[in-house]
Amino acid sequence: MMRLLRALVLFALLLTGCAHGLPAASAPGPPSEAPVTAVASYAQIAQPEPLPLAAQEGGAAGTAEGAADEGAGEDDFDDGMEEVPAAEQVTIADPWEPFNRAMFTFNDRLYFWVLKPVAEGYSAVVPEPARVSVGNFFSNLRSPIRFVNCLLQAQFIGAATELFRFMLNSTIGLAGLFDPAGGEEIGLLRQDEDFGQTLGSYGVGQGFYIVWPFLGPSSPRDTLGMIGDYFSYPISYLDPWYAWLAVRGYQAVNDTSLQIGDYEAIKEAALDPYISIRNAYIQYRQKKVEERGTIGKPKPDVPGAGTPARGVGP
Amino acid sequence: MKRTTKTTKIRSAIAVSLLALVLGAVPARAATPLETVRAEVNKVLEVLRNKSLKEEVKREKLRALYGEMFDQEELSKWSLGRNWNKLSESQRREFLPLFQQVLEKTYGDRILAYSDERIVFDKEVPISGNRVEVQTRAITKSKEIPMHYRVFKDKSGKWKCYDVVVENVSLVMNYRSQFNEILAKNDAEELLNILRKKVKDQKS
Repeated sequence: MMRLLRALVLFALLLTGCAHGLPAASAPGPPSEAPVTAVASYAQIAQPEPLPLAAQEGGAAGTAEGAADEGAGEDDFDDGMEEVPAAEQVTIADPWEPFNRAMFTFNDRLYFWVLKPVAEGYSAVVPEPARVSVGNFFSNLRSPIRFVNCLLQAQFIGAATELFRFMLNSTIGLAGLFDPAGGEEIGLLRQDEDFGQTLGSYGVGQGFYIVWPFLGPSSPRDTLGMIGDYFSYPISYLDPWYAWLAVRGYQAVNDTSLQIGDYEAIKEAALDPYISIRNAYIQYRQKKVEERGTIGKPKPDVPGAGTPARGVGP
Repeated sequence: MKRTTKTTKIRSAIAVSLLALVLGAVPARAATPLETVRAEVNKVLEVLRNKSLKEEVKREKLRALYGEMFDQEELSKWSLGRNWNKLSESQRREFLPLFQQVLEKTYGDRILAYSDERIVFDKEVPISGNRVEVQTRAITKSKEIPMHYRVFKDKSGKWKCYDVVVENVSLVMNYRSQFNEILAKNDAEELLNILRKKVKDQKS
């Protein structure tokens, strides 16, 4: 009971939950570990941050055609354009759209009125390299999540990679502040696996779209995933509860400070930001599940190579 | 005897001119998709890193490079999907530049803000028929983001981009979801209105 209460309060205060490698996109912000690049990356917004309440809906899933009639459909152009590969046409049902839109607006305000100003103040005081290191530190603490989910997906190389990363980064990486394991020389890349993806790899569909207040885009499956990840994230076990809350809050601010501008750019590019982010979220999560496998170092400059960069599946 | 020599001369002259014609028209080896994208992205980076250029000039140059690199019509078709057929010929003519302006404003601002990135060109992966995905990564001090350019061979045989996939999210598919939503409830004229308004708002 206590834990549930704690979970609720926490969820309520923390924008970027991120039980996994990349920070969540709760309100708007993309994950810290993902780059701020020239082109704003939608994916960052698409991080799932599930909440417990939705757990019971887990079974109700099923890949319903989007209420929104999103993307589905053949592309029979009169001028002989080929069909878009079916896998590309990702859709999700959105029976809760009115609720979701309200939550979207709520998260949007939360970002512009609270999170962003706080993160900007914080950025002004703490230089970027330090904030990157703080991000690395939390990412290192999330290793158990990635390790466990690699194992659950029978990705043993991925699990070993995470184990070695954790050992290296916790020691020569000074408690995770730096990421020597992921550097050019060692090349052990972070394996972004979370419980939502594990469920996806077992064949569990997204179900329908949910936007949680504070936590952002999700679905029954990814909500369940987030609960699972909660238990494999050491910070969740901090006691007393307000210590945990403070740490998660700080994490959210730090993550946001590294990605200010990304959400704004995505909104700017969109004709309907709600739809744009919903689509980005499902495209991103779908791909994450599909490409499950050990993330290795891509070999640069191999013209004509026919294999996808990441998909060394088990 | 003389005659034969003359014939031979004429023949070789014809051969040489034919060869020249062929060589002139078609490069010795057509550039691969990856080479094409690499060359174009490098030109963009060159403009961004040139500190002596004013922002206005940079925008102008980037616009030209966009035209070289992207096929706005193909990109629009993919973004509209089956809705492309709902637009009349004249509506399409208006749609193309409007959509381009929306993209230009958003991504232009974004691109101009960053220039310290390093781009690594990883590989090309066939999608289907004459479509290929060129996979790259943008690397900054601390982060890296996968950016995949989808190209097709246009009528002139040049590889042109019609989609960019940033961190697994396809740009055209993302716009398609929005256009579908809008066109499910409205007609094509309303879509153009929305675009016109967007362009106007962006200018102010």
